[in-house]
Amino acid sequence: MKALMSLGALVGVVGLLLLAGMVFDIIPSTTIRLVEGYMPMQMLFEVGCFVLGFTGLSYMLNAMGMGIPRFWQGIGFWVFFLLYIKYRIYPPIPFSVRAMYGTVALVAVLMWLSSNEEDWKKFKQPILNVLDAQTGFNKFLRYVYLVALPILTWGFSYNAMMPKSEEPIELRTVHPAPPASTKVHGKTYVLQTALNPYRVNPEGKYDQEYTNSLIVEQSMGRLMKPNANPWDEKAEGYLKYVREGGEIFFQNCHFCHGDNLNGRGLHAFAFNPIPANFTDPGTIAQLQETFIFWRVAKGGMGLPNEGFPWASVMPPWEQHLTVDEMWKVILFEYWHTGYYPRTWD
Amino acid sequence: MQKSGTQVASLVVSSTVGAILMIASGTAMVFAQSGIPEGFKKGELAPPPSPEMVEAGKRVYFTKCVWCHGVDGAGDGPGADRLWPRPRNFNQGTFKIRHTASGELPLFDAKKPIPGQNDLFDTVTHGLPGSAMPPWEGILTEEQRLQVLAFVTTQLVKDRSFTDKQSETQTILNLAELKPKPATEESIKRGAELVVEKKCIECHGVEGRGDGNAFNLKDDWGFSIQPANWHKCWNFRGSRQDPYNVANIFRTFSTGINGTPMPSFADSTTIDERWDIANFVNSLCERDANGKPLPIDPLTDKPKIDFVIPSNPVEGEIPADIEHEAWKNTPRRYVAMGGQITHKPRNFVNRIDDIWVRSLYNEKSIAYLLEWDDRTKSVAEGKLPWAPTEVNIDIEEQPPVTGEEGSIAAKQNHYPVYNDAIAIETPVKWQELPAPIKPRYLFGTNEQFPVDIVKWEADGSIRAFKGTGWDKDFEERDSYEEHLKVLKSEWKNGRWYVLIERPLGNKKEQDYDEDTFFEVGKYIPTVFFAWDGHNGDAGRKMAVSAFYYTFMNPPIPQETYIYPVLIAFGVVFLEGWVLTRRANKKKGKTL
Repeated sequence: MKALMSLGALVGVVGLLLLAGMVFDIIPSTTIRLVEGYMPMQMLFEVGCFVLGFTGLSYMLNAMGMGIPRFWQGIGFWVFFLLYIKYRIYPPIPFSVRAMYGTVALVAVLMWLSSNEEDWKKFKQPILNVLDAQTGFNKFLRYVYLVALPILTWGFSYNAMMPKSEEPIELRTVHPAPPASTKVHGKTYVLQTALNPYRVNPEGKYDQEYTNSLIVEQSMGRLMKPNANPWDEKAEGYLKYVREGGEIFFQNCHFCHGDNLNGRGLHAFAFNPIPANFTDPGTIAQLQETFIFWRVAKGGMGLPNEGFPWASVMPPWEQHLTVDEMWKVILFEYWHTGYYPRTWD
Repeated sequence: MQKSGTQVASLVVSSTVGAILMIASGTAMVFAQSGIPEGFKKGELAPPPSPEMVEAGKRVYFTKCVWCHGVDGAGDGPGADRLWPRPRNFNQGTFKIRHTASGELPLFDAKKPIPGQNDLFDTVTHGLPGSAMPPWEGILTEEQRLQVLAFVTTQLVKDRSFTDKQSETQTILNLAELKPKPATEESIKRGAELVVEKKCIECHGVEGRGDGNAFNLKDDWGFSIQPANWHKCWNFRGSRQDPYNVANIFRTFSTGINGTPMPSFADSTTIDERWDIANFVNSLCERDANGKPLPIDPLTDKPKIDFVIPSNPVEGEIPADIEHEAWKNTPRRYVAMGGQITHKPRNFVNRIDDIWVRSLYNEKSIAYLLEWDDRTKSVAEGKLPWAPTEVNIDIEEQPPVTGEEGSIAAKQNHYPVYNDAIAIETPVKWQELPAPIKPRYLFGTNEQFPVDIVKWEADGSIRAFKGTGWDKDFEERDSYEEHLKVLKSEWKNGRWYVLIERPLGNKKEQDYDEDTFFEVGKYIPTVFFAWDGHNGDAGRKMAVSAFYYTFMNPPIPQETYIYPVLIAFGVVFLEGWVLTRRANKKKGKTL
């Protein structure tokens, strides 16, 4: 038990030092990279490690007779969480979202502190002590608060009211509702029933199961399955079309969506928001293949009114590609990211 | 007093002796390793990677790399013909960014992924900024990166061998043991003299913007190549995601860049001189108002972008002199430019990749000072075959598959020359667009929500247009052009300086249906377009920015001073209330 707790304490201390380094900009926050597409899980995991570390740390300190009072534990953890989401996560999350997470964390901390009557009393005691001010030190503290609080409030509100020129926040629908059907190159496609004509087995039959078994592996690096090389001269059906789709992708799409389909292509730095990251589980992995077909064919201009502002320079690809080429690119995108298109059922 | 004098004297003597000793040992080192350039040491070729690694690397290569570098590694994958620089052809074993002497193979050891000691691994890890090669760190694991390099170096490098001790040598720049010289004023000044003496400026230009000899340079494969622009260190191929690190420049200058006209200066400069030059080149890279390196966005490896362009008020006329106090005190913004790759003809290679923008306004007009690097001043000869308002003009788009001869890289510097140009697009009636206020990006949405476009061209013209859609010809606004002023337009040493003044609108005589009304304290969506005449840019073949906002800084309102005081007093009352209540409660009183 003791060894386990010491290990926990060690984890806690190392983690705190790392975070402190990131706060003071000594260690860049990209030192331990947030792995693409797994960021939320990694965050939860890291915070979990911290909690375990803190438990160990607190146990050790108690054992050494230097326990931290509940009051400071609560506040300390809340401050830790605020610092974590501010300095650890890149790209930075906007203040409004951080404020939301911060409030949730505060509620959680209060719940933890008030889980039994005794703990809650212990937590309240330092506050009440200062309010009642029985001792000289507490009296002093009370006067400090009396003076400091109005000054701080004045400072913050003055700061907030100074005219600033910060970029206005844009809200937009990331996946606007698609139309029931779309007309591309003179032909109408009903989104509920249209199928990717290239999602076929070597016999030429539409085969979701077969094609899904040949996509790249969902592990680090997302490499193709051994013996499923689209560049194999003997590749037929699905894999052959994946290669053709890849050729089209690397002649047209990679300029924005990037060589690894992560939205960091050659021109991506100039755009705001940066192009879609297909390796993120929130993009193509959540959508039906026909939805992608509609977005590809109609581009940023084809977004419905709820997609306003039309902050998308995605070309209406019907201007550049044939219907067949678009289906093949979509095939390639799912293959390369290792995701299955969502189905209607 | 006497005592301290002796101390100083002894210090002087000992340091002199030390200096002499150091110089002597330095000379001895040079003599001892004759034939090896200063700062280099002899190295060994690494052992060959295992067959398993090569096989595993093949799988990585055919998932990730083949699309640009091709099945045989000849740099001729499906993506190659629309890229400039073209993807590397591995067959010759010519690699650019190295720690090894000129002409030698780069450092590569499949078992040692140590930064600074494994050139190919560093290249794959950090990518080559300014080209389409991305950083693969965070995408491929360290092992996968080594595996793919094991495959490339053994199977795709065909003319040379990474393991043949008969034909290959390794002379390694000993960068780890060379301490960078502090970038003192003196060192930078000496560097500035040396770049003239060593003829660096013949290619890199008088101000180092890469504008010297810009047409005639070719790489080993016969494609046009441009000298680096020292002011954009984040585009240095060898910047290793650490663009302001002077060691990268020292390395490139010491080893040269294989396959390009950039030679190694190891034999013709001392280490000290190389640090001076590196310090000077590094000092030229763009910095903020306090002289600090620009913050780099780790997602893009380019300077971080602030999308708000603040415009400061001035009394009276807007100064035409860009050295004027008012211009110096106005913050400048980095505006990133990408190729227009939405509508035909798409511009896959845009040679203008950023603009520096500043703005001032007075009660009548607003002025934009636009500065951007363009290696070539381009003014079209004769009359252009289309009217200024025409949008759908006959400019060819690069076809997807052409082979090397017809590729975009082969066409560089062979385009017909049109005018360099710049345009500022702002929406008309932005107040009526639902928030946030943006029209469609390229040349406006439709008749109902048009845009106001002010375009300057290098032939000296300034025009105003109304745009109603990406494929709709512009409508000219004759009377408006009389109100536009070009306060300055000058091309100097690879950089354009253009200062455009336009009316604010907001006046009764201005046309609400055609003019953007600039209002103080509001966010006015603003887009910039840029054309490089020597890139064959015209019409929609251009560079574009995202939506930025022009924000005319308002004077500080009275409320800012009053309300916070009121709030603070409120807090005092609240405190009093809480304490009184607490005290009463303790005494057993209730309110």
